Amino acid sequence: MYFSYNWLCELVEGLATPPKELARLITMKTAECEGVHASGAPLPGCLPDSIIEIDNKSITHRPDLWGHLGLARELAATLRLGLRDPVKLDLIPSAPPAIGVSILDLDLCPRYSALVFDNVTVRPSPLWLQYRLRVIGLNPINNIVDVTNFVMAELAQPMHAFDQDLLHGDTIFIRRAREGEMVVALNEETYRLDPSNLVIADARGAIALAGVIGGLDSAINERTHRIVLESANFLGSNIRKTSARLKLRTDASMRFEKSQDLVNTVRGLARAVELFREISPGIRLLGGLADQRKELTPPPPILLPIDWLTRKLGRSVAPAEVRDILERLHFGVEEVVPGTFTVTVPSWRATRDISIKDDLVEEVSRMIGYDTIVPQPPLMAVVEPPASPERLFHRQVRLVLTQQGFTEAYNYSFLSEERARALGFDPQEHLRVANPISSEQALMRMSLLPGIYRNLVENSKHLESFRLFEIGREIHKREAGLPREVPHLMAALYERDGAAEMSELKRACECLLPGAEVRPVEARHYEHPARAGEVLRRDRVVGRLFELHPSLLAGRAALLDLDLELIFQLGVREKRYRPIRRFPSSAFDLSVVVAERELVGDLRRRIVSLAGEQLEEIEFLRQYAGPPIPAGQKSVSFRLTVAAPDRTLSLEEVGEIRTHVITGLRELGYELRL
Amino acid sequence: MLETTLSQLEASARARIEAARTAEELEVVRVEALGRKGTLAQISRQLGALAPEERARVGKLLNTVKQGLEEALAARKARFDEEGLRARLDAEWVDLTLPAPGVRPGSLHPVTQIQTEIEDLFTSLGFAVLDGPEVETEYHNFDALNIPPDHPARDAQDTFWFADGNLLRTHTSPVQVRGMERFKPPLRMIAPGRLFRNEEVDASHEHTFYQVEGMMIDREVSVAHLVYFMKILLDHIFGREVTVRLRPGYFPFVEPGFELDIHCLICDGAGCPVCKQSGWLELIGCGLVHPNVLRMSGIDPDEWNGFAFGMGLTRLAMMRYGIDDIRLLQSGDLRFLRQF
Repeated sequence: MYFSYNWLCELVEGLATPPKELARLITMKTAECEGVHASGAPLPGCLPDSIIEIDNKSITHRPDLWGHLGLARELAATLRLGLRDPVKLDLIPSAPPAIGVSILDLDLCPRYSALVFDNVTVRPSPLWLQYRLRVIGLNPINNIVDVTNFVMAELAQPMHAFDQDLLHGDTIFIRRAREGEMVVALNEETYRLDPSNLVIADARGAIALAGVIGGLDSAINERTHRIVLESANFLGSNIRKTSARLKLRTDASMRFEKSQDLVNTVRGLARAVELFREISPGIRLLGGLADQRKELTPPPPILLPIDWLTRKLGRSVAPAEVRDILERLHFGVEEVVPGTFTVTVPSWRATRDISIKDDLVEEVSRMIGYDTIVPQPPLMAVVEPPASPERLFHRQVRLVLTQQGFTEAYNYSFLSEERARALGFDPQEHLRVANPISSEQALMRMSLLPGIYRNLVENSKHLESFRLFEIGREIHKREAGLPREVPHLMAALYERDGAAEMSELKRACECLLPGAEVRPVEARHYEHPARAGEVLRRDRVVGRLFELHPSLLAGRAALLDLDLELIFQLGVREKRYRPIRRFPSSAFDLSVVVAERELVGDLRRRIVSLAGEQLEEIEFLRQYAGPPIPAGQKSVSFRLTVAAPDRTLSLEEVGEIRTHVITGLRELGYELRL
Repeated sequence: MLETTLSQLEASARARIEAARTAEELEVVRVEALGRKGTLAQISRQLGALAPEERARVGKLLNTVKQGLEEALAARKARFDEEGLRARLDAEWVDLTLPAPGVRPGSLHPVTQIQTEIEDLFTSLGFAVLDGPEVETEYHNFDALNIPPDHPARDAQDTFWFADGNLLRTHTSPVQVRGMERFKPPLRMIAPGRLFRNEEVDASHEHTFYQVEGMMIDREVSVAHLVYFMKILLDHIFGREVTVRLRPGYFPFVEPGFELDIHCLICDGAGCPVCKQSGWLELIGCGLVHPNVLRMSGIDPDEWNGFAFGMGLTRLAMMRYGIDDIRLLQSGDLRFLRQF
């Protein structure tokens, strides 16, 4: 929103603060200034101006600040200067109106005011008016339209002028649009409406989209002789809905959606009368004010206890100062009960902005200055906060992985259908964003793989080998309610020329989950068919360890995917002390000849169960294929350590265990190298 | 007679000790001179033939010579040992400038690092660290935060929607609401996390970024308390005392609402391109919790007060490390990530 510095100077008596300083003051007291700009070359006879730009987002709660007078009020209050209200209400004659107004929905249109003018001359505006509009970013059109824009920019009251000779009948209707009703707007677009939209209509049909844009058919043109000047008030939320649905935001809709002040409709008309007389000589008012409004009970005054205010601020303020600040901001202040102010809110702040005492805390504190509030530690009970063990677990995972050489990456939660398909995922199973900006944000990730895969592809362009990981959430849609969000870890190890040792990743996995097992499993679409396994913990599948299918990437990549939620639920290892063994143990080695693809894990499990209770430890030593082992077979060696808790095992006892294991293995069909 | 032989023997043995070049040669000398069948032993066997008087004198001399040779041998041996050790140690030379093999630790994402610091700080101040879903209900993201449908404040947060009316959270504030629903006051919590805005991506805009949200609900909570915690937070993050200012800011879920700026870290308030010549950087949105927000979460605003704040972790990371392109944070580019 652009404000003209010269305009503000006209509205605030004796304003002499230079523009830059004024902008700083506005930022500190009222709303965020984004900058001060030069206005460009002035038109002949005009004083050069400066533009103060205010961030629209910082005034969405302030309908009054969408006009210069609103900001002028703030400046007058801040600088203790007088305010020059440009509105002369006595310019509106009391006579019967020359046009009928009929509001059919008083909720959507709480007030509609209008005046009719005769003997209008449509021509370009004088240069001062054109320049003023240009400065704040509006295009001058003709004197009539320019006056409506001027009043809007000054009072925040949008207005619209109709060519009366182009209207049908003698009454203006404000009603909901009919299903499928069409209106051709000033921007020459045709809009198809429904009953959620409000229209201004004559006897024949819609002549304007209420609060958003006027109609083309009744627009002011060079032959216009008589006009109906509309100054109305519309329900903010409805204007916003219409403007969002039609994707049509205008200067009018932007103001109305902030909930404008009902009082302002007639003020706007009075201001327009004055301006019309100046810029359209010979113009005449036909009749008096047409005005229909919903009767509203004024909001009750707000009770503001001064000690409560002090507690909220954390510093004391003298009651006289509070009163002074509020009165400067045009609030009514009475002290009916000692120590408590009864505060009435000015109409332009009462539509939405201020309704409770908390709102007044802001009014007082911004004026006394936040820099006068001294930081203070609170005095309060010591309460142990709820713990977040899962978060600490994730930290632990991060720590272990970085120690193993993996660097953390963040990837988007989105993916495109193409990326999903490329890895063999079904786009239909994904949660779908209804309004993505581009196809890249169409789907929510059900796996961290697409992101990690992208990291592998991109980084492999620059690096020969690397390790990275991400901790992020998989999003799985559900029949109803919010989707399931499952925290996962995915770690990847890449080597362009080497083997990308899966055992390195398996080691990382074992560091994270001591005692976890990996079991070969049928590969998925994106996995190497002979190098895919499930990770098991306490007999539950908690993840996968696999190599990426070589067709997907130049070089090799091993990946580990773990469900951190499930792992956390299964519990981390409980630490418990076992007495240190007091008697020496004995060890012996075994070498078993098995088929080349026999799983060492299976063999190990069999030996463990044969060895019985006195097995202390079993260690894999090596595996070997080649002469003298027959082709298609391998020799696998283990070292078994046996012991008893209460004595030293005798040679005979150790021998018995060994014989038992060997016999058992032979019975299972294994051959041993002794 | 014997005395002459003894001193000749001694002189020759000493010469041979000196001449020995290895431990083995030295051992030969030792055996010949001091061994059981050595020269000195032979002389000592002849002592019995001497007169008692002479026997005592020669015997004494013999012992002196023996002792002297033993000492010379030991000294020589020590030198050999020392030389041997020195040679061995010298042979064990390694090139310490050789690069060490093995994997180097990876690094954590810069946002993780800052987030961890902030979590630890607030944990030490008695705050809980809470989490909430990234896909949120409209109620938790907007309505419960005093942003009803068709409220213009929704413009400030371009939203990704799903067909069922749920959305991607546009701030971490819904975790406040979930925190209040779950725990009774007094409540002190922060909620770091990922959020989403429906925006085109360029060097300074992202649709995915990170925030930390904080809230304290207690019987007496004032603006002065809020500023106190914000000062602690900022001094801690930047590792020095920072100058802050509070100015009005509009967030529907707080009243009053503030923007908290800090003196630009680059120019320290003098004005530079980073702070657009203003001398200040906008860092935290905060305020006292709006009574409607408390009420909607079942907390009586007449009994309880609170403050809330929200700070961009993405922005903070960029400021701290001087990152000039926001897209790098989600790029997964190791040339970038390994720098932290």
